[in-house]
Amino acid sequence: MADVIITKEEIAAIYPKVAETMADALGCDLEEVKPDASLIDELGAESIDFLDIVFRLERGFKVKIPRGKIVEEARGDLSESEFEKGGIVSEAGVARLKTFLSEVPAERFKTPMKVADIPRLFTTETFCKMVIRQQRVAEASGSAQPA
Amino acid sequence: MNNPTLTDSGLAGGVAIVTGGSRGIGRAVVQILAAAGMEVIFTYRENSEAASEVVAAAKDGKITSEVVDVRDAAACDAFVEKVIEKRERIDLLVNNAGVIRDNLLAMMPEEDVRTVLETNVIGTFNMTRAVVPHMISKRRGNIVNISSVSGEKGGRGQTNYAASKGAINAFTKSLAAELAPRGIRVNAVAPGVIETEMSRPVRELAGDQIQSRILLRRIGQPVDVAHAVWFLSSRFADYITGEILHVDGGFKME
Repeated sequence: MADVIITKEEIAAIYPKVAETMADALGCDLEEVKPDASLIDELGAESIDFLDIVFRLERGFKVKIPRGKIVEEARGDLSESEFEKGGIVSEAGVARLKTFLSEVPAERFKTPMKVADIPRLFTTETFCKMVIRQQRVAEASGSAQPA
Repeated sequence: MNNPTLTDSGLAGGVAIVTGGSRGIGRAVVQILAAAGMEVIFTYRENSEAASEVVAAAKDGKITSEVVDVRDAAACDAFVEKVIEKRERIDLLVNNAGVIRDNLLAMMPEEDVRTVLETNVIGTFNMTRAVVPHMISKRRGNIVNISSVSGEKGGRGQTNYAASKGAINAFTKSLAAELAPRGIRVNAVAPGVIETEMSRPVRELAGDQIQSRILLRRIGQPVDVAHAVWFLSSRFADYITGEILHVDGGFKME
């Protein structure tokens, strides 16, 4: 999938609602939710929380977010073997992740990086971008349908 | 002796989904949950006459039914969405829909393997997957799967059915581990020989000697199973999860 450009303004427009969703799902104070807060390391999210967050975002923004597809999406044009080997993200894979997750501070991309640790990178902004991407998909498919 | 803590099951006012609720064990479960004050929406596949009977018997309108083939994931999603739109919550899911196609393995048509696994296993996956996100969001919920004595003990001619119920037991335990952090309990009830239409061929095949293998010397009734479902759904079972509760009168397989 080709990268799409998402502007700061677009993120800012939906950020308050996404942050509120995070706080509700994680049972934390809204003030704790920062744009670059790592959901797992800073907000204490577990895998089940990701499901809840995605589910709440889907309902809140009326979009459909494909389950378990974020890593696949992050991989972009790289094949699976180019992206990772034996559960470790390749150099090309890490470079690709840095582009896809441009909102994540560079120092958080540790090498060697396990594929299983990719979700540790996800921040509140990562989910804002996820919603925006799906809003565009919905708009595109909506406009393709007969009126 | 009028202690309210021992009479209030905590079920009243809740919303329950029961799959395969028009007949047999499912029907008894629907009725007992409604009697406990729950609003019950049950699914059925084709027997609309039986379904109408169950709905009509509930004079307070607390029981409704929907045609849903649990093998169809999209149909399960649409059904759950409809329930949520109207009631905004699902407190309990009872995965009861199941079929039986006994035969010796060597004689078993592939279709009978597929039908049993698709309804009993995939159907349970489909409905549970549709319901669980709503329970996770609410941080509460309760799931009871109807398994079978065959799931652990096995029996001649039951490779497909036993495999499906063994899968349900494993599913129950794994899902209990997954959902416990959100306070959602997942348990199963494993009935033995119960007097239902579905089990009639098995009972007929086994003949009178079947009762001699049941310690309590009687065939179980659907309500015996429903009582166990009620218990696991109630607040009296608040500290029970990942459990397979046998309701079989002490049934011993060969």
